Amino acid sequence: MYVRYLVTALVALLLVTSGVFVVDVDPGEGPSVVDFDDTIGMTDLTQAEQRVVRERGIAVPRAEVFYSRYRYVVGHQGLSSLVTELDRDGHERQFGVPLSIYVTDYADAELETGEDGYLRVTGGDTDWVAVENAVFVVDSDARHPGGSAVVPFRDRGAAESFTDRLGGTVVDWEGLSAHPFERSELSADAAERRAADRNAWADAAAADARSLTERPVSVVVGDDAPTLAAAIDQAPANTTVVLPAGEYRDENITVSKPLTIRGAGVNETWVVGDGNGSVLRAFDARVAVTDLSIRGIGQQQARPDIDLDTDAWDAQVLRAYGYAASGIEFDDAGGSYVADVYVDTPTNGVTVRYSDDVVVEDVRVDGETPWRDGFMSTITIHSRMLVQDSTFVGGRDGVYMHLGDGTVVRDNRFADLRFGVHEMYTSETLVANNTATRTRTGVVVMTLPEDNVIASNHVTDSDIGIDVAGRASYVVGNTVVGNEQGLDVGSDRSLFARNTVVGNEVGIRASTLIPTNVVTANDIVGNDRYVSTSLGPVRIWTDDGAGNYWGGAPGVDSDRDGFIDRAFQPTGAVDRYAASSPDAHVLATSPAVQLLRSQEGSLPGLRSSGVVDEAPRVGPVRPDAVAAALNATDSRPTTGVMG
Amino acid sequence: MNGELDDLFAVVERELTIVARTPAYVATAVGFAAVVWWLAVASSLTGYVPLVADLLTPVEVLVPLLAVAFGYRAIQADAASKELDVLRTYPIRPRTYVLGVFVGRATAVLSLVFLTLLVAGLFVPLFGPPANPVIASHGGDGPFGTYLRFVLLATLYAAVVLAAVVAVSTVATRGRTAITAAVGVLVLLTVGLDLGLVAALSTGLVGPDGLRYLLALSPNSAFRGLTLALSIRTVEATTLPLSAVLANVVGLALWLVGSLVLAALSVWSEPPTERWRVVETLAGTGDAAGQSAVSDDGATESTADGPVEASDEDASEDGPTSPGGAEGAPED
Repeated sequence: MYVRYLVTALVALLLVTSGVFVVDVDPGEGPSVVDFDDTIGMTDLTQAEQRVVRERGIAVPRAEVFYSRYRYVVGHQGLSSLVTELDRDGHERQFGVPLSIYVTDYADAELETGEDGYLRVTGGDTDWVAVENAVFVVDSDARHPGGSAVVPFRDRGAAESFTDRLGGTVVDWEGLSAHPFERSELSADAAERRAADRNAWADAAAADARSLTERPVSVVVGDDAPTLAAAIDQAPANTTVVLPAGEYRDENITVSKPLTIRGAGVNETWVVGDGNGSVLRAFDARVAVTDLSIRGIGQQQARPDIDLDTDAWDAQVLRAYGYAASGIEFDDAGGSYVADVYVDTPTNGVTVRYSDDVVVEDVRVDGETPWRDGFMSTITIHSRMLVQDSTFVGGRDGVYMHLGDGTVVRDNRFADLRFGVHEMYTSETLVANNTATRTRTGVVVMTLPEDNVIASNHVTDSDIGIDVAGRASYVVGNTVVGNEQGLDVGSDRSLFARNTVVGNEVGIRASTLIPTNVVTANDIVGNDRYVSTSLGPVRIWTDDGAGNYWGGAPGVDSDRDGFIDRAFQPTGAVDRYAASSPDAHVLATSPAVQLLRSQEGSLPGLRSSGVVDEAPRVGPVRPDAVAAALNATDSRPTTGVMG
Repeated sequence: MNGELDDLFAVVERELTIVARTPAYVATAVGFAAVVWWLAVASSLTGYVPLVADLLTPVEVLVPLLAVAFGYRAIQADAASKELDVLRTYPIRPRTYVLGVFVGRATAVLSLVFLTLLVAGLFVPLFGPPANPVIASHGGDGPFGTYLRFVLLATLYAAVVLAAVVAVSTVATRGRTAITAAVGVLVLLTVGLDLGLVAALSTGLVGPDGLRYLLALSPNSAFRGLTLALSIRTVEATTLPLSAVLANVVGLALWLVGSLVLAALSVWSEPPTERWRVVETLAGTGDAAGQSAVSDDGATESTADGPVEASDEDASEDGPTSPGGAEGAPED
């Protein structure tokens, strides 16, 4: 009789559990708002702007988005990033659709704008409102440091009383979605346009600075004046002081007028400090220093006790870096020029503070080795600087930027440093055509800035080739060869294209939690591992049907469109060995592995850490660069298979 | 009718005994569970909905395979071993016999499918990677309910396919025919019908409007449609209309009922002529016995459990040709 019980039990079990068909299992019914600090941030603001927001108590409208295919809640600070991200190509592929979106509701808050035009909450409370029930004020006078503020309200009355005071128009969610926000365009063309603009600025700045070498000679040290200091004192503005060959051991040389100081050439004319503090200091615009060498610089690095005329958030940074002893120090000296100069320094080489359009070219700075003993070869603080055609060996960082928006660093050589180029709180830069070797990181961008272009650099034998944080940035056409880690994709909404990644231990590391980067048209060949991932979901590294070239990726291109017919998983259990083992090809084409591969590609946002390229290329994007890089790594054991 | 129910459970018990005693079935069950669990682990176990998405295709293929393995000899073996001839002499209706065979095999298959998938689902909370504790996550990866729906739909799908296989086993009564027919059903159900639909679509034979109802006629498409509509829907945030859900349910029900009716109608309706020849070579009473069984069919319900219950007690493995001994004997 046991069968009766067995069958009855099974039927009963199935019937009871069938109750799940009448229970609501839909998560889209409105997850409640979570603590904003617990969300994954996507923001309109750079980290520098965020610090201003905190310091001055500025109100920035927020949004929380719950996606159908992404397990984490995304928090937006500022709403333009919300609208532009929802509209981005490939967004839905990675995140699914928003199940619900909540925005800050300012209906019960008292809003004011200060003299700076920034929005502040002076009283009352803010709440959350679902976007479909909200109205938004756009184009008002209210701003936040990241741009014009979009201010949401739960009812039109509150919004209109806001526009009565501060202008703007009231739109609903649909209207906001159609609002023309500035959208970053992640294409190689966009990167090229930006690079061209910045190169044009750099060319003009360089030409302008070179004109300083044409100033008439007024004083020749030794002939017309006994010392350099006396000559500077004596020379009229806008003339040239000539330093014939020899050593000059003046102390505290300070230039406070537009003047050109010209030596007889590197290693001919030596300006030698007393080993205490900076050697040359310029406190007026358009000072030029050319054709000489500098040594005898002091050991002082951080100056924690320095009295700064600022209580800004970055005073700490200035004290730590900006006032270290230096070969040449510019302060409030816009349009100044350093060329054909050699600096041998235990600390900084050339320091530029609050001086836009300073040009440093054909300079060599030798810092300390190991790098821990040295400091910054060149450093720009609150200044737009051009550094080109120079050589930096040893020391901490070749070029350090702190709030150096727009700085251009091109055609330099870096070796044996911590970082070749180190960008902090700095946006809209161009770092191009530099070579870096034996560094911890060739080019590193930190603190979430925006719109930086890192193009055509060449990094070898370093711990990390290029590591870019921030957003809306362009890492294009670089070559990273023989590093422990080639590229670090730590940014969001940025483009990584046409890079040559050859012979590294790890080709590319994907480290951001939120998968919004476009990674396409790169050549990843002969690395011990193609890709490593840590946090975050599965990322799709294919843009508009075009992926990357993964050396050794198996498969055929039956329709001859240049792309292998199957997806490639550089982090997959089998594909990761594609370059090193032909046997992996055989296993990879088995139905079982194909089944697994199709699993990874579906619902990528709900899976854990991996990379899928849906359209791997048949051949490299830059075959010559790959071949050259492979030649360069001949001494290393490579595992890549070409073509 | 109580008597018929007793008959039914007698057959069910016999079937379950056969399943339990046949090592091949046990091995198949273990293999099925192993493959499903391995696929579940390989799918990274980040949530219930991704797991459903990953298991959907394997289940579409593995469940018919399982049904064929467990069902294709269910009735054919009885026919081949002449047990069917003996059973026919018992006062048991063909529909009771067919239903009993189906319920018996289904009890094994459905339990296996249900429990295997349920356990695979438990892997998610047990072995899944923990969500980043610093960052708020939400229900986008689906509650357990969405997964349970999938498990139940897979169980229903298993029942439907098993019924089809039992029907085939009934119609194809010779050994080679049975396996050929079973493989045919497998191919038809897993790819054949869908390929046919693709061909029909591409030639313009059917438009996309008619697709919904034609899909419902293919059991695996109906199962897939229901899974997408009722389980994975929670991440797609798009809903298949109710008519599609209903069409799929009706489609599956038609396959289930239709298969069993076909089996019940064909199991004894057309006795193979060779059976008569065999009976004739025995004693002269064979003919009479056969006829009496036919005429007694349905008329001797009161004594129905007599022979079956009796044979249950001497269940042994004397030999497959002995009516009593064949009861619950393992299939080769």
